[in-house]
Amino acid sequence: MSHIKIDSSKCKSCYLCVDVCPKKLIKKSETIGKTGNCVVEFDDKNSQCIGCAQCAMVCPDMAIVEVYR
Amino acid sequence: MSEKVLLKGNIAIAKAALNCGCSCYFGYPITPQTEIGEYLSAKMQEKKLAYVCAESEVAAINMALGASSTGAKVMTSSSSCAVALMQEALSYAASDELPIVLVNVMRAGPGQGYIFPSQGDYNQATVGGGNGDYKTIVLSPSSVQECADMTYKVFYLAQKYRNPVILLVDGLLGQMAEPITIKDNPYPNIDNSSWILNGAKNRASRKIHSLEPNPSILEERTLKLHQKYLEIEKNEVDWEEYNCENADYIITAFGSMARIAKSVADYYKTKGLNFGVFRPKTLYPFPYDRLRELSKKTKIFFDVEMNLGQMHKDVCQAVSQNSQIFFIGKPAGEWLKQDEIIKAIDNIFEGQYATSI
Amino acid sequence: MQQVFSIPKSIKQNSTFTFCPGCDHGVAVKLIAQIIDELNIQEDTIAVASSGCSVLLYNFLDVDCIESPHGRACAVATGIKRAHKAQGNNKFVFTYQGDGDFASIGLAESLHSALRGENITAICINNTNYGMTGGQLGPTTAMGQITTTSQSGRNKEYHGFPIKTAEHIALCDGTSFSARVALYDVKNIVNAKKQIKKAFEYQKKGLGFSFVEILSTCPTNWKLSPQEAHKKIEDELTKIYPLKVFKDVEND
Repeated sequence: MSHIKIDSSKCKSCYLCVDVCPKKLIKKSETIGKTGNCVVEFDDKNSQCIGCAQCAMVCPDMAIVEVYR
Repeated sequence: MSEKVLLKGNIAIAKAALNCGCSCYFGYPITPQTEIGEYLSAKMQEKKLAYVCAESEVAAINMALGASSTGAKVMTSSSSCAVALMQEALSYAASDELPIVLVNVMRAGPGQGYIFPSQGDYNQATVGGGNGDYKTIVLSPSSVQECADMTYKVFYLAQKYRNPVILLVDGLLGQMAEPITIKDNPYPNIDNSSWILNGAKNRASRKIHSLEPNPSILEERTLKLHQKYLEIEKNEVDWEEYNCENADYIITAFGSMARIAKSVADYYKTKGLNFGVFRPKTLYPFPYDRLRELSKKTKIFFDVEMNLGQMHKDVCQAVSQNSQIFFIGKPAGEWLKQDEIIKAIDNIFEGQYATSI
Repeated sequence: MQQVFSIPKSIKQNSTFTFCPGCDHGVAVKLIAQIIDELNIQEDTIAVASSGCSVLLYNFLDVDCIESPHGRACAVATGIKRAHKAQGNNKFVFTYQGDGDFASIGLAESLHSALRGENITAICINNTNYGMTGGQLGPTTAMGQITTTSQSGRNKEYHGFPIKTAEHIALCDGTSFSARVALYDVKNIVNAKKQIKKAFEYQKKGLGFSFVEILSTCPTNWKLSPQEAHKKIEDELTKIYPLKVFKDVEND
């Protein structure tokens, strides 16, 4: 099952990953991060992730630390 | 290697640099030091060593900065107004603790001045033109023989203390030929394996930097540098005395002026006056303690320089308050001759004190 | 199932990027780390960081690194490369500089390194302003662009024209490779990686000076969101600074 792992301590809430995910599986969480904004979370209840790793590619903070396909 | 050869000071420096393993030279032409780069360009290319005709003195000293981070023995040479361009990198190199050898064969200033022999860069070298609390070790030769011998020493001191070292040469010496002996390098190589940048193989990666956003770390680092300078002041201060014991009068002078000062002392000896000459060989660290000690007996000092009184302030700081110090000097142009100094001293004896000729 | 992305080995463990949110510097550093891993040169690499935001490279990249005085990175890299060569070692040496560092204060050092065909690689982050000092007019600030020192927009009467760095470097005979890339979407990130890797490989082959200019965002000083900043690059800046390989000695 493809999935990603996010290190939310590194997330600076730029949301570039939210925009790039082709399946829209990354969204703002309720947790406030270091920039004072909500960090992102991976929400894939229906196992739609295809492990394309585009989120990891665009993340400028390497907060998306692992991608499995 | 023991036979005498007739060499210009500039060539003696270049030969000695090669002899003690200088593998990198970066430079830009400027009179009166250009022969150093010319000589090395041929020899270093022959030996496949690093030689770059840099686009500017700024580039040259920064190439030296990079090269010295590899542990190589690195030299650049220049003159006065162009050494002014190098001050930023000297401050970085001191902060980064990088061993760079800089030869400054002085010309007249301020500004572009001209190629006349001068001692106008004493302040630039010893006080430093770069920013922050840093020091460069400064050695001053007074003969072509010493140009060669001190070249060995500046490479050694640079490596030993991981600090930039300046060989401060009068233009007169750079251009003057004397018979000298190129000796073997008497100094050992220093192990630098603990800090050089040669790729992080089987060890953690290293970073050499001066930027430090943490105030307490920056303070600690600067204090550590300061401790090193105190160590240098304790260990490396060097000077020459010529008839200073029991002298009634001492002439203080550095570089080529000290040689003329000796002739002046000899002249006054024939007149029955006890003159000595005190010559700092290290301008930083300056031999304050020894000069202070001498001033317990000797009460009259003549400081002779080919500038308007740069070492003078160090002499004043060194000698006891009961001593009198008379400055004799002139800005670069025609150099200060023996009879001019004698005339100035005679005038002082007659109560006609002038600060410069 | 296999792991298709992990933190590159050449990134320091537990390091957290300290660039502003959405800044392309992070992507550039990550690409460089991936390429160092792929070329297996971590143990042979010496990086030269410069002044400005790009200096932060040495906090993240796990290779030997030296910080250069502002603008002098190519001179420092020249010294390192040549000194190692004189000792019989072939080390991989690259600089990581901003556009102010590479193309303004350091233009002489940059251009002459290219002219000498110095066998080093220079990466230049072009974000069209001086980022770390708060967004002043730089050598690449576009005509009409508002910065803190061009408050009514860059104009030719006061500020003159910006420099097209990759084009200039391509004109130097010693240059083996010169390209401009961007990072505003996945396609461009993939291309950027390809071009940077080529630049690195050309140094490994000893072909001479290789250069990549990376059009990058500065969301904080541009006062745009990361998304808007990427759109500005796509819509405006690539018109002024075309994304292209300007010189490639192996393929021209």
